[in-house]
Amino acid sequence: MSRRSALLRYGAARLALAPVMLWLIASLVFLLLRVAPGDPIDALLGPKAPAAARAALRQQLGLDLPLTEQYGQFLSHLLRGDLGLSQNSQEPVASIIQGSLPASLELGLVALLIAAVLGLTVGFSGIARPEGKLDLAGRLYGISTYALPPFWAAMVVQLVFAVWLGWLPVGGRFPATLEPPAGSGFYLLDSLLSANGAQFWGALRHLVLPAGTLGLLLSGVFANALRLNLRRALDSDYVEAARSRGLSERRVVLRHALPNALLPVLTITGITVASLIGGALLIEVTYSWPGIAFRLQEAISQRDYPLVQGIVVVVAALVVAVSVLVDLLVALLDPRIRF
Amino acid sequence: MLLTLLAGCQPQRPPGTLVVGHKSRIDSLDPAKASRSGQMQVLSALGDPLYVISTDGRIEPRLATALPRLSADGLRARIPLRTGVVFHDGTRFDADAMVFSLRRFLGIGTLGYQLSERVREVRATGPHEIELELRRPFGPLPRLLSAIFLTPVSPTAYRSHRDKPFNDRFVGTGPYRLSFFSNQQQRLTPFQGYWGRRPANRGLALVTLSNSTALLGALRSGELDVLLSSGMEIDHQQALHQDARAGRLKEAVGPSMEIGFISLLSDQPPLATVTVRQAIAHSLDRRTLGQRVGLGLRPPLRQLVPPSLPGSEPEAWPAYDPARARALFRKAGYCGVRRLSLPFTFRSDIPSDRLFALTWQAQLRRDLSDCVQLEPTGMESTTAYDQLAKGSLVMLLYDWIGDYPDPDNFLSPLLGCEQSRGNRCLKGNSALSGSFWTEPGLQQDLIRSTELEGQPRVALLQTIQRRVAAASPYLPVWLMAPVAWSRPGVSRPSYDGSGRVQLGDLQQDVRPAPAHPREVRR
Repeated sequence: MSRRSALLRYGAARLALAPVMLWLIASLVFLLLRVAPGDPIDALLGPKAPAAARAALRQQLGLDLPLTEQYGQFLSHLLRGDLGLSQNSQEPVASIIQGSLPASLELGLVALLIAAVLGLTVGFSGIARPEGKLDLAGRLYGISTYALPPFWAAMVVQLVFAVWLGWLPVGGRFPATLEPPAGSGFYLLDSLLSANGAQFWGALRHLVLPAGTLGLLLSGVFANALRLNLRRALDSDYVEAARSRGLSERRVVLRHALPNALLPVLTITGITVASLIGGALLIEVTYSWPGIAFRLQEAISQRDYPLVQGIVVVVAALVVAVSVLVDLLVALLDPRIRF
Repeated sequence: MLLTLLAGCQPQRPPGTLVVGHKSRIDSLDPAKASRSGQMQVLSALGDPLYVISTDGRIEPRLATALPRLSADGLRARIPLRTGVVFHDGTRFDADAMVFSLRRFLGIGTLGYQLSERVREVRATGPHEIELELRRPFGPLPRLLSAIFLTPVSPTAYRSHRDKPFNDRFVGTGPYRLSFFSNQQQRLTPFQGYWGRRPANRGLALVTLSNSTALLGALRSGELDVLLSSGMEIDHQQALHQDARAGRLKEAVGPSMEIGFISLLSDQPPLATVTVRQAIAHSLDRRTLGQRVGLGLRPPLRQLVPPSLPGSEPEAWPAYDPARARALFRKAGYCGVRRLSLPFTFRSDIPSDRLFALTWQAQLRRDLSDCVQLEPTGMESTTAYDQLAKGSLVMLLYDWIGDYPDPDNFLSPLLGCEQSRGNRCLKGNSALSGSFWTEPGLQQDLIRSTELEGQPRVALLQTIQRRVAAASPYLPVWLMAPVAWSRPGVSRPSYDGSGRVQLGDLQQDVRPAPAHPREVRR
């Protein structure tokens, strides 16, 4: 079998498994939510609403049905792409996700960009003199940013740049007195497309601190990964061979060692993107960033079953898609990989 | 360099527009879906209720022109409505609009039971008069109708949302109209066609920040002009209070409609014995707890009805008296060889609750270590409320905020009981609230208290509280008053009698701050 067809088969198998994985995740979330203590009616009406009002709302929300029937309804709606209505606001779950997901993706992508630029620069900077001062500083940077507790780091950054210096907003996604740009929900992109400077600067000012903090925290992973892989690549036989052919050190590093060292970094990027989609919760909470992770946390505390299920399914689908994409990309770039 | 550049690009605020921050995320501005304090606060600027409670506690007509005229049997209430009022969409407010709004609320209102338990039917009896048919005589009807969730909405705008919520729009009659809505931000602009007093500012931007630290920082950095305390952590409130005392901020304290209390599972050992419950009541050092946990901002409370409402009985519950507590514990067979282990649940997602549990534990160890030992356990709020109604929690600290300012809203939700056996409530609010306690005749007295008015009602409410205090199935702990802070250059916030900031009165102001009001109010 040719490499190309093997790759296609591999991709098809991964994609075919995705719905099974999503079904398992959706079922698990459905079950865990029902098993977990707490009643959505309490969250909606408070603990002291009369029994009749509680029963009426329970019936209205379909929570009085047998669990198997609720599960059947959930799955049949899911198969039709219908994520249901939020118990709390009665809004379609899909539109709530549509409103929150772009905020998380925008934050995640900009943070990832910052992390990659910072991390790769730091990781690459010490390579000229291994164990030198720059290399040690880079190693220290990698460990310390990785070890920083996100909540604490976010609060310190917020305190310094927003409260003490007053340079940037404390939280939120857009200035209170401006109209957010209409469009895709990616405010930077939308404001650029509409050529509205005030909107663009407003969105950027709100994005800098959360994305900067998240990027800083993630950059250590990139720095360490690149440093280690580059060191390993520079010690390998093919680099020795390149050097022995009289190639300049610059050419050896940039053309031979770096591309190979970046392959594992690409895998790490994939894992990071996947975790960023739902995992930037502490940053979102600290900066009042109206993203999907923040929304999920609220939905869990309100026991809003359809919203929790919907968010988890959508985030899981995105994580699966990103990981399949990264796997295929790595397989495509690295001829050593067999399927 | 980028930071410096961005720092210099702060957007210009429209002159006269104020930014108000709070912690409550606003999922819906449909009055039918309003149940949280943040929603009520925003709605109070967008809509008008039939009646309002003035700062001195009096009921004043707003969209009504007079108090309800009751039929001889007290089962029909006619309410004359104001003329010349228009909705934000330009349509007229009249009896049909009011009936539409009340029926819609009865149909889909989250708090619809507050109305449906009292009102059987609503009808228009004239172009500007409505009639409410009551299930039984209900004295506090005007107070119920002062609830902002009963504010009328335009039948034209809500025609297609008669049976479903309209979350992101509001078309009412209030001094502001909603010009932008998102869950995190709302913008209100003065409504030019408003019938009453115009707002003092040129508009408001309301911002939700999800954590208390961010709110504190935003007010201090000048990002916010006004900050509302609801949901803020107590140490942050204390920090802002200190700022206000130092003249860096202006502070206003509203009438409290929120009480913190402990429910005691009174139908099972060890708290089934009145003597033990009384001993616990005497062992609670509210002053110390108020200072250590409430940081002096939560006044001690020994009654269930907040002091700003009629029928309060300031010293109904037993005072802190460790000697008396010891004697009662001894009478119940504890102290010395046998020590009472007392499970106490606190809400783990509320930081001050944990501190309360630990402080009370230490206080009991100091005062009554040979008699009682407190065993605190944390539990997330929603889980705790669920377990409470199942009778799984021996003691739980939580709080209650009345949906509308009337004593009945503080007594019935805790003491109401539909089915009982002796002192045990089998079905009803008392069971839902975790005490499962009642007393023969109590339910009848609660109902009778809603049928009376004036001094006879006050006397009955006080009697009810004294009876409950003697049995101590609940222990009131403290009052939680709403507080608002404004920056220098903005007027001091003021509250209405329902405990909401009067947003229309806020304005940019350069006058020096007068004497600090907290000391005056408390």
